[in-house]
Amino acid sequence: MNRALSVAWLAFVWVLLWGSFTLLTVVGGVLVGYVVTAVWRPGEMQGRLPVRPLALLRLVGFLARDIVVSSAAVSWQTLRFGPRTRGAVLELPLLSSSDRVVAIVAGAYSLSPGTLVLQIDLRESRWYIYVVGPRDPADVETARRAALGVQRRVLAAFGTPEEHRTARELEAR
Amino acid sequence: MILDIVSAALLLAGASQCLLGALGLVRLPSVLSRMQAATKPQTLGLFLILAGAALRVPLESAVTLLLVAVFQVITAPVIAQLVGRSAYNGGSVQPRLLVVDELAPRMPSEGPERPPG
Repeated sequence: MNRALSVAWLAFVWVLLWGSFTLLTVVGGVLVGYVVTAVWRPGEMQGRLPVRPLALLRLVGFLARDIVVSSAAVSWQTLRFGPRTRGAVLELPLLSSSDRVVAIVAGAYSLSPGTLVLQIDLRESRWYIYVVGPRDPADVETARRAALGVQRRVLAAFGTPEEHRTARELEAR
Repeated sequence: MILDIVSAALLLAGASQCLLGALGLVRLPSVLSRMQAATKPQTLGLFLILAGAALRVPLESAVTLLLVAVFQVITAPVIAQLVGRSAYNGGSVQPRLLVVDELAPRMPSEGPERPPG
């Protein structure tokens, strides 16, 4: 089942690469997908993720808005402070034990401008992220809250109900 | 006509984002902050330019442009983390530019080398 999905995805990318939707490119894509998944076995999956379409849609919308808002923020830092721009390295609780959810949150952090995952400590369940912009402890707390909000939104879409609840409690604190 | 105007607006907005990214590369002080400028406004700039271009080419080519955006989204975070981690471990992160560093106490053995003073 998972392999069929991988093959379908690879075939889709193949068709996009060719830029034409014909029988030849589709069949070629499926063939390439089968060969690739036969040579490189996809990693073990740890069961299905709970996916909530509405929360997922909200997450995508949030990320789309976030990339615009935070691009403007990074540009502002560049123009206003330039060489005197400062940053912070924050420690955040990692609330999910699923590798895939961790990967999605890390992607979300890295995609939104101004934040970057430096280190993931799975044993201690901690993230370490770099944030550009904070200049005093109050800014740091604002950034921390924003980062927790990103994690909360991902957990709303993919996390277990308990993880989502913990995330909300942490953010409200 | 309207399509041309929309397309031109998207291309110009994307180009100015890329310009701001380049400016950040010159003006920002550290590896980590420069990476923000190099990768993030750039991503938005690329999306805008792709959207602007997609309006002006045949549909089939526009779909290929979508692939460019997808690869940007799935590869940029991986590279960002690799470079960021190496920069931190290599000691390129200057403590005086950080308001707080909550990672430093956690890695006494392999933390960044602190320049004296």
